[in-house]
Amino acid sequence: MSAPAPRPDLPLLQPLGDSALLVRFGASLDPAANRAAIGFANVMAKAALPGVIEVVPSLVSVLVRYSWSIISLANLMGEIRLLLSAPKPEQAATITHVAATIFDGEDIADLAVHLEISPAEFIRRHNETALTVLATGFAPGFVYCGFHPEALNVPRRSMVRAKVPAGTVLFAAGQTAITSTPIPTGWHIIGHTAFRNLDLAQTPPTTLRAGDGIRFEVA
Amino acid sequence: MDYARIRIIRAGPLTTIQDAGRPGWLAHGIGASGPMDRGSFDRAGFWLGASGRAGIEFSRNGLSLEIDHGRIVVAGDGGHFGVAINGRRKKWPFRAALKRDDFLEITPGSAGNYGYLRFSGDFELPEVLDSYATNTIAGFGGVEGRSLRPADELTIINPRLRVESRNLSAMPAETGPIRITWGLHADMIPDFVRQGFIERPFLISDKLDRMGVRLDDPTGLFRDFLLRSLISDPVLPGDIQILGDGTPVVLMVDHQPTGGYPRVGTIIGADFDRFAQLRPGTEVRFEPVSVERAQTIRRSIIV
Repeated sequence: MSAPAPRPDLPLLQPLGDSALLVRFGASLDPAANRAAIGFANVMAKAALPGVIEVVPSLVSVLVRYSWSIISLANLMGEIRLLLSAPKPEQAATITHVAATIFDGEDIADLAVHLEISPAEFIRRHNETALTVLATGFAPGFVYCGFHPEALNVPRRSMVRAKVPAGTVLFAAGQTAITSTPIPTGWHIIGHTAFRNLDLAQTPPTTLRAGDGIRFEVA
Repeated sequence: MDYARIRIIRAGPLTTIQDAGRPGWLAHGIGASGPMDRGSFDRAGFWLGASGRAGIEFSRNGLSLEIDHGRIVVAGDGGHFGVAINGRRKKWPFRAALKRDDFLEITPGSAGNYGYLRFSGDFELPEVLDSYATNTIAGFGGVEGRSLRPADELTIINPRLRVESRNLSAMPAETGPIRITWGLHADMIPDFVRQGFIERPFLISDKLDRMGVRLDDPTGLFRDFLLRSLISDPVLPGDIQILGDGTPVVLMVDHQPTGGYPRVGTIIGADFDRFAQLRPGTEVRFEPVSVERAQTIRRSIIV
């Protein structure tokens, strides 16, 4: 990915409705903005500010839900600016997960043609890079993992599939994703995994955290 | 163990078990769910003094049920529905003590999309992340993660038979514009479009469910001004997204946790319940307020 021009106005603090705000670290998806969002979400969670109800890291932003009867928007923004200006803590050592995958996805052949490589070479290159869990979102337990090298970048499909099952391994836009519930998707299906990120009987209900490492292997 | 059992005889679409929801799991991709009109859900419980945590949310077509076993006290509120017990009509909102073989019928009424029944005890249902709420998009919670349908049976354990006798009263109908705070992307939306958004009428379309309410845009404001998609960010109930084809959609309580469409604004918490109850064809106008003003309005309602 090419380095985006620095944005002096970032991170941007924007109210979202009357009881939340968003801290944005980028306007497009790049690794630095993603790392900054995950790092700030961890700092924010650790700070445990009174009145902060929920901290949600996303691809390049962090949602902060707050109780305005405990902290005003202005005070919360002040506290957040203080946290943002503090020295960044050492990144804790991350866990690396392995997703054993059966690469039998119906779109692999098309992807290989598009990238002008063989299906086997596509699978090899796909698994070559150690990826990071960029965010959980879109649906329960759905994870975005990135980034693959630029040479593997393909756009989404033009047609959306109505429903793919839990454990489907998807590929698009320089990322691999794993579904945890049946969802509609415009991403390419490259395989499926027995790994289940979501277990509603457990607390917390998901295994993968934004910032964790993840490798895909042929099952 | 003392219990009561009810059997669903007739259920319209989107009839689900709801409680106060399961907030706090957005980082796991799980939305809070809960009632579409939280105020009415709470009032239905209030009529019982203390009710079970969960209740039934039903939609415009109403609901019929029968008591299969035991005794229970029930209360209903939200919108304006017709209600009859064993054929005898009652005023809405209502409270009633029911016993075996009693038949409760809720019929379509003059206002609202959602009504609530609360009972004097808790349902015997599995909790998912400490909540009974049905998440209709991911399909969990409530009864097997789905809408209620005829022949479903619900057991209520240890129902109380004496409840505080609170004086029932209907909420005065509130009118006027739906208030919003400007959205995350207001800065990328030209002034004339923002101006149009608060000057022009929109209509509630017939495409509405617990995920979102699509609006008709009769003057074509967003048809002529297409916004490009953005990187996905977290979204919340009340966010007004503009889809790729120019359709405005208001996200509701079973929304997806993230979204990549541009957002014009967000309906303020104090007006969310009222918006949820607006029926298809109703004209809606939006009025911008500051975040601080939105919080003051809400505080004045709660306190």
